[in-house]
Amino acid sequence: MSPASVEVLDGPLENDTFPERLTAHVVTPGDRPKIHGYDVEADLTLHYEPHDLLYLSLVGELPDPSASAALAVVLTFLAPLSVAHAPGHGALLSHLCGATSTATIGVAAIGLAEHARSQVEDHQDLFAWLEAGRAGVPERHVARTPGDVAAVGRLTAAVDRTGFHAPVLEHRPTALAASLAMLHVLGLQRPEQLVTALVTARLPVAVAEALAVRPVDFRSYPINLPRFRYERA
Amino acid sequence: MTLPELTQTTRSAHWGWDEHQYFGHRVFAELAGTESFTSLVALSITGRKLPADDVAVLDDIAGVVTLADPRIWPLKLTRVLASYGSAIPAVAAGLLMEDGARIGPSTTVLAAQALLAFHAEIGDRAGDAVVVRDVVNRYLETHSFVWGFGTPFRPHDERLTAFEACMEKRGRDILPHYRTMLALAEAVREVRRAQPNMGIALAAVLLDMGLSPEQIGALVTALMQHMFFAHGVEAAAASDGTLRKLPDAYLAYAGRDARQSPRALAAREYLASAVPPRRREGSAM
Repeated sequence: MSPASVEVLDGPLENDTFPERLTAHVVTPGDRPKIHGYDVEADLTLHYEPHDLLYLSLVGELPDPSASAALAVVLTFLAPLSVAHAPGHGALLSHLCGATSTATIGVAAIGLAEHARSQVEDHQDLFAWLEAGRAGVPERHVARTPGDVAAVGRLTAAVDRTGFHAPVLEHRPTALAASLAMLHVLGLQRPEQLVTALVTARLPVAVAEALAVRPVDFRSYPINLPRFRYERA
Repeated sequence: MTLPELTQTTRSAHWGWDEHQYFGHRVFAELAGTESFTSLVALSITGRKLPADDVAVLDDIAGVVTLADPRIWPLKLTRVLASYGSAIPAVAAGLLMEDGARIGPSTTVLAAQALLAFHAEIGDRAGDAVVVRDVVNRYLETHSFVWGFGTPFRPHDERLTAFEACMEKRGRDILPHYRTMLALAEAVREVRRAQPNMGIALAAVLLDMGLSPEQIGALVTALMQHMFFAHGVEAAAASDGTLRKLPDAYLAYAGRDARQSPRALAAREYLASAVPPRRREGSAM
């Protein structure tokens, strides 16, 4: 069989100018990687934690020590997302079907990103309130249930131990609002920064939850949760 | 203890013993062997079986939108991820990035929303160029551009030229939204020197079929998915490593200059202060 001939074609993309190189903005290419200018192997590895790298990557600067400690607290608080939530549930279904682990991780990441996007969108008024510096957290974000009030109390106590001053917690927002407000106060203010932080915090548990089911053990899954009622069109 | 039942209604489907249901149709008796793939896609998105001549228009669309040069960004993304040898994750990623993107099917949603608004305002006056131009001018007082207009890298959208011929042949060019679209195209050309693209034409034709803007976005995504498979499958099979990692020579860096972290600097200062001063040259032991 003769090799296919290569045709010389002409079109709009042949008649325009484009750069020859792909531009990196965060990680230096090559053997000695730096993140936003900091040597990874000889500096960040020795002196910083993964949550500092998350912050550095998204903000471009390293957090100061109390902000770093507070960020670690908030990310840990945000990590647990049970299988009741769509991202873990979806990832579990992926693993149940016997999908590759990479596919399951991808499913979890998509679910978490969607979940985080909806949470961030649902707290836009909270962020606007923070930026305006007005008194009184928006009413719908005030903790009401005993469980929520207790959770915010635990978050406040943990943040207090870091030495980071967070007046926003004095307004007793819900645990989620408090965590999101803390991320905002710490400097993760753009929606994409917040979503990335939420996904990063939660991905390991969502994947772990999925990997805990036995692949193709279909009878172990509550197939009628919820029960679908077929409505004839 | 029995839990209260959680329920959700669906019009989509049911798995029976010898026959299945799909949007009110028996799969084996009514769909299999009679409905085309395109018809099933339309049924899945609209919940209704479209007439055969509407399905033919959808086939026209799928053909005309086949602009699949591997350099086109969403398709390039698919090839980049397929470089590890798996087509499906790459195809999924390519389709995923279509959600809300500034190019591709998402723009047809915005074009359809804009066209609906124009159509409501222009009504049956699409033949009156002065009225249409006035409506466009007022729109552009509060919007920087009209979705569905603009043809990057070329003077006109060659797909639209081909599509218009198809729609004329099928008699779709006399339908209400299509007529509004043609009138709008004239006005925007005049006011902004911007040419219409496929997005506004797809919006017009699919609005005339009774689809909502959201259904249009989903349907156009489905009608364009073959191109992602083309690149996912080809690049996964080739998998020669070119796109797995570009050679350093093809990269530029435009980030921060090298610097030391505060903790590294503090550690260096601490070590410097802790080391005894160097023995002066020639001093006695």
